[in-house]
Amino acid sequence: MDRFESQPIEIPGAERTDFSRADLIFRSVDHSGDSFTAHVFLDNPGADETTPLDEANGYAGWFAIFGHGGCAGDVGHCDPPVDQVDPEDQRLLHPLTPHTKIVLITESLRRVPGPEVAVTVIPVISAKEAPQRADVLYFESLEVAIYD
Amino acid sequence: MPLVPVSPRVRTPPLRTRRNVTSVTPDQLAAYRSALGDMQALKPSDDRSYPFHAGHHGLPLPIQCQHGTPLFLPWHRAYLYFFERELRDREAERARREGRAAREIAQPFWDWTVPAATPVEAIPVAYRDKKDAAGGANPMHHGTVSPAAMEQQHDLRPPVGPLDLPAETFRQPGLPGTERPTKERIDRIVAEPDFVTFYRRLEDWHGRVHVWTGGEGHMRHVPLAAFDPIFWAHHCMIDRLWRLWQLAHPPPPFTDAFLNTALPPFPMTVAQTLSVTALGYDYATTAVTVPVGPTRED
Repeated sequence: MDRFESQPIEIPGAERTDFSRADLIFRSVDHSGDSFTAHVFLDNPGADETTPLDEANGYAGWFAIFGHGGCAGDVGHCDPPVDQVDPEDQRLLHPLTPHTKIVLITESLRRVPGPEVAVTVIPVISAKEAPQRADVLYFESLEVAIYD
Repeated sequence: MPLVPVSPRVRTPPLRTRRNVTSVTPDQLAAYRSALGDMQALKPSDDRSYPFHAGHHGLPLPIQCQHGTPLFLPWHRAYLYFFERELRDREAERARREGRAAREIAQPFWDWTVPAATPVEAIPVAYRDKKDAAGGANPMHHGTVSPAAMEQQHDLRPPVGPLDLPAETFRQPGLPGTERPTKERIDRIVAEPDFVTFYRRLEDWHGRVHVWTGGEGHMRHVPLAAFDPIFWAHHCMIDRLWRLWQLAHPPPPFTDAFLNTALPPFPMTVAQTLSVTALGYDYATTAVTVPVGPTRED
């Protein structure tokens, strides 16, 4: 995808501000393509690459992908196994096993007024001649974790 | 004071100091450049060559670098260790040929948190100059991608497609939209007590420095990054920050399974990477040796 906009996410207890830490956890983040930085905004569905990274615009943080850069093997070479649970398999994980990315949003979430928050993720590719200009962002789920 | 018997009467070799590349002496820089140049002069199929070592990270297949897992720091520490050993071997061989003592070789680090007037000036002069002090080619300025990696970078399949970068590596530091960290940001990461949080945040900045340095050049791409000689100074900085973190925090409760994990292609486990002094080096900027007289007679 070229951007991600969540529906409003209801977070029980988010109206509190006395939590010690809040994380935005992106699960199964793809890193098979080009390198990019993902800018994360709260309650700013109109955010784009040019949006200032400040509190007024709901900027919450970033994560970076140092992209694997494509596949030089034959078909299937860069497809990680769906289930890698064989306890006798001593090999390291497939290099393209998706990553987990965590963005610390403690202060940003405290500024959210209500029990719901919408998350917008904008991938930013810096190079004009980048080998992949579109569709660099992919992840399977998003989790908000709040710690007392 | 009772004497504690010490059985092994062996002379412990001094630790090598990995210095900031802006602080190395002209002699140290010349020795490093000489060894690096000797590695680059070997044919790519020679397993002592620069392209052979660079190829472990990305192309030619298999891509063996570890990112996005707790192996990120141990794997790259092992990678630097074996690269540095190769540099030392090249210096030792040259010294034998020239009938002199081998000079100390240690991988320098690049502190990319230091402010600079322009992005280009943030690249250390030692890596920026096309010529060395004697007017010869500076092997730290660029590397050459091996023919096998060149062929495979052309074969990259969508969504990325062929990179088709030139064989000679280049950098475009500080393109719009890229960023390198301040010292304050890195200090906060090193102060983070939780190892997983520490390595994740450091790895994210590591990726951004790759992209900041490369622009559209080799350093931004996992498959080709290690062919640029500044790759090693960048990762030496990452390794140094891990060392500083280790000095500041108690050892994490790693599992035996994690500690015993091998780090291919290197004959080393995670446990063997945890002590830099056991690997023969450190990052101390000031170390004073006090002689205490002649060696005791048996």
